[in-house]
Amino acid sequence: MPTKSNHRGRISRRTRWFAVLGGITLLASACSASGEPSRGTSTVGAPERSWDQIVEEAQGQTVSLWMWGGDTQGNAYVDDVLAPAAEKLGVTLNRVPITDTKDAINRILAEKQAGRTDGSVDLVWVNGDNFRTGQQAGIWLCDWAQDLPSFAFTADNDPLLANDFGTPVNGCESPWHKAQFTFVYDAARVSDPPRTMSDLLDWIRLNPGRFTYPAPPDFTGSVFVREALYASAGGYANVPAEFSQKAYDKVTPRLWDILDDIRESLWRSGQTYPKDTNQLDDLFASGAVDFTMTYGPATLTKRVADGTFPITTTVLILDEGTIGNASFLAIPTTSGNAAGAQVVANLALSPAQQVTKADPGVWGQFTALDVDALPADAALAFAALPTSPVVPRYDVLSRNANPELAAAWVPALDEGWRRNVLAPG
Amino acid sequence: MRRPLLLLLPAVIPVAVVLGATLMLGLAQSLGLVPVVGDAKFDASAYRAVIASGDLWPALYVSLAIATAATAIALVVGLATALAVRATRIGGRVLATLAASTIPIPHIIGAAAIGLLLADSGWLPRLLGADDGSWPQLVAGPWWGAVVLEYAWKESAFIALVVVTSMAADAEELSDTAAVLGAGRRARLRHIVLPLAAPALITAGAISFIYALGSFEVPWLLGRAYPEPLPVLAYRLFTSTDLAVRPQALAVAMITVGLCLAVGVAALGLLRRRSVLT
Repeated sequence: MPTKSNHRGRISRRTRWFAVLGGITLLASACSASGEPSRGTSTVGAPERSWDQIVEEAQGQTVSLWMWGGDTQGNAYVDDVLAPAAEKLGVTLNRVPITDTKDAINRILAEKQAGRTDGSVDLVWVNGDNFRTGQQAGIWLCDWAQDLPSFAFTADNDPLLANDFGTPVNGCESPWHKAQFTFVYDAARVSDPPRTMSDLLDWIRLNPGRFTYPAPPDFTGSVFVREALYASAGGYANVPAEFSQKAYDKVTPRLWDILDDIRESLWRSGQTYPKDTNQLDDLFASGAVDFTMTYGPATLTKRVADGTFPITTTVLILDEGTIGNASFLAIPTTSGNAAGAQVVANLALSPAQQVTKADPGVWGQFTALDVDALPADAALAFAALPTSPVVPRYDVLSRNANPELAAAWVPALDEGWRRNVLAPG
Repeated sequence: MRRPLLLLLPAVIPVAVVLGATLMLGLAQSLGLVPVVGDAKFDASAYRAVIASGDLWPALYVSLAIATAATAIALVVGLATALAVRATRIGGRVLATLAASTIPIPHIIGAAAIGLLLADSGWLPRLLGADDGSWPQLVAGPWWGAVVLEYAWKESAFIALVVVTSMAADAEELSDTAAVLGAGRRARLRHIVLPLAAPALITAGAISFIYALGSFEVPWLLGRAYPEPLPVLAYRLFTSTDLAVRPQALAVAMITVGLCLAVGVAALGLLRRRSVLT
């Protein structure tokens, strides 16, 4: 039947043309949408409104909070304490767990490229190089955080809250908690715990296979490398906070020498490294290594209580102190619920939420507020907090706290570590 | 010949449009046309930077090695399973059900399960009392053992199913006839079963190989920190806090796509040569 087959042939040819046309249209629209954001660095300010107007506008909004989901206590706090409190204020809080904050940044970037104004991310738990990357791409809503009523309870010009890894905060993110990098060991297996970072490096050499750290660019592994950098330079004062190639070339050769030197003494002879802090915690829990480390010592209390970590788990206090920072909640410009997100950020920073969150049985995160300047009842609530059997108080942990380096150091050190320590191994 | 083509169109068009558009966009990004920060420019600097970084060749090497090892094991195990399924009626049915039941398990679940099973402190070493360091380093080890095993396990089931369903029913008749004429087991396998199964083996093997080459989650979960397979390298570059390296991530992705296409074309060529020969 030649006629019929001809007919079909024509349809299929025409359809093919439609397909090609459709493809071109789709491409063109994709390109035109994505051509727009290359303007880049300009920051978008939140519109000027009174707090009452913001609360009014927030009514009925649903706020998606994207946060690292690897901490069960943190997840429980947001779901069981923060979300119900937000509900009372008329805002539905929806927690979106992610494996890495970079996932949220990528999602926002993609949505910005697509020109969306009702994006799926309304609030992100963020700090450091992720915050800087977002600033670089102009994805954060700015100039709002300092106007939150709760912000009045923070200390004036608190250096941890004014600059995030050297990047000026400029009201583009609202403080959530403070953190202190902490080494943790099992006292049953480490009889003579080191007192300084260089003691620790000696301990590693003397006890082959009993220590390791997550591979940067993992957040925790990256801090470990910065701790080692401070130790190799003889203290943080000898490392310029601002990144420059000259400073990098001056201070890193000694760091790579040291890390390369201990490599053979690491778990599995440094042939591989844990991917992230969870894998390191697993190694510690199963007794494969004697140390773990965390930027959120809050998690330790529960892990010891539920038997994941041995009862002899002990926090290591270094004489020269460790790196401390603050973490924040940021709102992307692609959010369609910015008012609701501000209400949640304000609630999260309120003394009532901060004191609940600081309870080691709830989450145990250190407050971003200035406890000494709080109203009497709130200050009393902080004073009455139960102490953790594992984690010392923040003022003990943060004694001699070292500042973070500027965020530009972070990718440079991560990449340098890959080239000089990981790849040759 | 036209009718099946026409019937396929509703399935082919969306795939071609979606895939074509994303690939074009990926290509444009890898060539610096769609930067996240800075101005658009058209050049191959991302490709040059990836090559100059020294990460590309180890990635290429380890990706190809993993895909080759996993596909080879999957082909042997898959073919053996398929033959066993055809050989016995009840046992075959049980085996076929078992093979089919592994198909819907996503690779990421499979990888997580393999990790729980085979890691140093995993279920199996504990069961065997080998958690004192005598257990081989399968997860995150130097030979990518757990990664290869995961792919081989999943893909052998897939290959077995494809071979079972595609081998013509007359294979048994031919086999019986050959047996009557005095052909031994080995001769029948070599001259009847293998040639009949070859098209299915080539197709399914190529699909498995391409999958192993392009998939991210299995080597990411079960692999070691260095060297990184191509998809893991692309992902790390894509999620870097340095937005300027994003074109490099897309360049690695495009190189992976090119490699996959080359394998697909080679498999088609192999199939065509066979059909001309027979």
